Amino acid sequence: MTCPRRLLCSAFAALAPLCAWAAGPPAPTPTVVAVAAEESLSPAEMKAATQTDAMSVPTPGELFAALGKQCKPNWASQFRPGVNTALSNRAQIALNLGGLIADGYVAVEAMDAGQVKNIGRDILMLGRSLGISKEIIERGQTITTFAENNEWNALKEELEATQNEVKAAMEKIRDEDLVTLISLGGWIRGTEVVCGIIGDNFSDASASLIRQPAVVAYLRLKLSALSPKVKADPLIVSLDGQLAEIERLVSFPLGTSAGKDDVKKLKDAAGALVKEIGKKG
Amino acid sequence: MKLSRFLPLLVALGFAAPVAVFAAEATDGETAARITALDIAGAFSNDGYKIRDGHWAGTLKPKEKFVSMLVNLYAGNQYYFSLGTEKPAKVALAVFDETGKKASGDPFREGEKTAAGVAPTVSGPYYVTLRLLEGEATSFCLLYSYK
Repeated sequence: MTCPRRLLCSAFAALAPLCAWAAGPPAPTPTVVAVAAEESLSPAEMKAATQTDAMSVPTPGELFAALGKQCKPNWASQFRPGVNTALSNRAQIALNLGGLIADGYVAVEAMDAGQVKNIGRDILMLGRSLGISKEIIERGQTITTFAENNEWNALKEELEATQNEVKAAMEKIRDEDLVTLISLGGWIRGTEVVCGIIGDNFSDASASLIRQPAVVAYLRLKLSALSPKVKADPLIVSLDGQLAEIERLVSFPLGTSAGKDDVKKLKDAAGALVKEIGKKG
Repeated sequence: MKLSRFLPLLVALGFAAPVAVFAAEATDGETAARITALDIAGAFSNDGYKIRDGHWAGTLKPKEKFVSMLVNLYAGNQYYFSLGTEKPAKVALAVFDETGKKASGDPFREGEKTAAGVAPTVSGPYYVTLRLLEGEATSFCLLYSYK
């Protein structure tokens, strides 16, 4: 088997002429074969593409990484007070969990161990209501050590390493509605955070990051596929209606950028949803 | 209460949430392909790329035009798509922007491993296509990394 370092060198060497950012040490004997692919896709071919949560909904981490290249975000400015954890509606709990997850990413970006702890406490309370696997709680002494020692880069690596175990634990729940709503709650809260930071550091480049028409369209599609009982939940009905407006706000034409007012409108719209999601029924 | 009580759960939910965990059980072939895909993606991690938690698995068949997946990418980020196959195969891996224009460079390929990079200049939907050019039907697994 090829060693990863050599593979990396080979891959970078192959791509270097095409991608300026892919500069790497030259590979001694690159085993590279360029193969033919389609040169373009038709609208019908694009429409036929598969979409899944796992591939088509970006994580907050991806969005935050892109944002971090456009400005120096003050992540701590986007902290919010603790959410209401005295909830019994599973749909609402899932939406709030998603929002808290986005808050977790913000806390890690802000390198604030105290905030991570507070968010973790709220997630634990909501997670228990949904039957999140208890054994997950037992993990993480290493992570804790990294956090308490402010070793944030090491912490991120350690977080990545836990992914497979975590996925296995989530598979046990087998509740597709729950995953959809967690994704939706996370995206809404993440959007509010990003808009807040873009508003504080406005530029055309940063504002272009809010252009995500396919994400909202996909999330709305997933909402339409919820089980009848969940879909009829008044909170879900309300969210679906408001997402139509949010979809319009993130769907500006290719080659254009959102204005500062557009960013504020989106922040307000997402913020209103976050409040509604957190409101006690 | 100690941080250790909460962090694992935060981590757990944070990384698992966007993942479609209800797909059919992975076959042995898909598992093998995934290990291969993780192997190549792991190499990119050495250069600061984070592996996005989540993957796309299935079967590539001869004479099938291509299979495609919509992904949403952000301008400013750099991405690598890593494909593993169960059996050695010559696969065309390409990424297209929302106008249908090819956005990725020629893929790197070695045995069961294929990878292609893209540095989007526009945020929005992109389409990853896979086409089996040579070889018998094989399970595949695609995942992506970003920085």
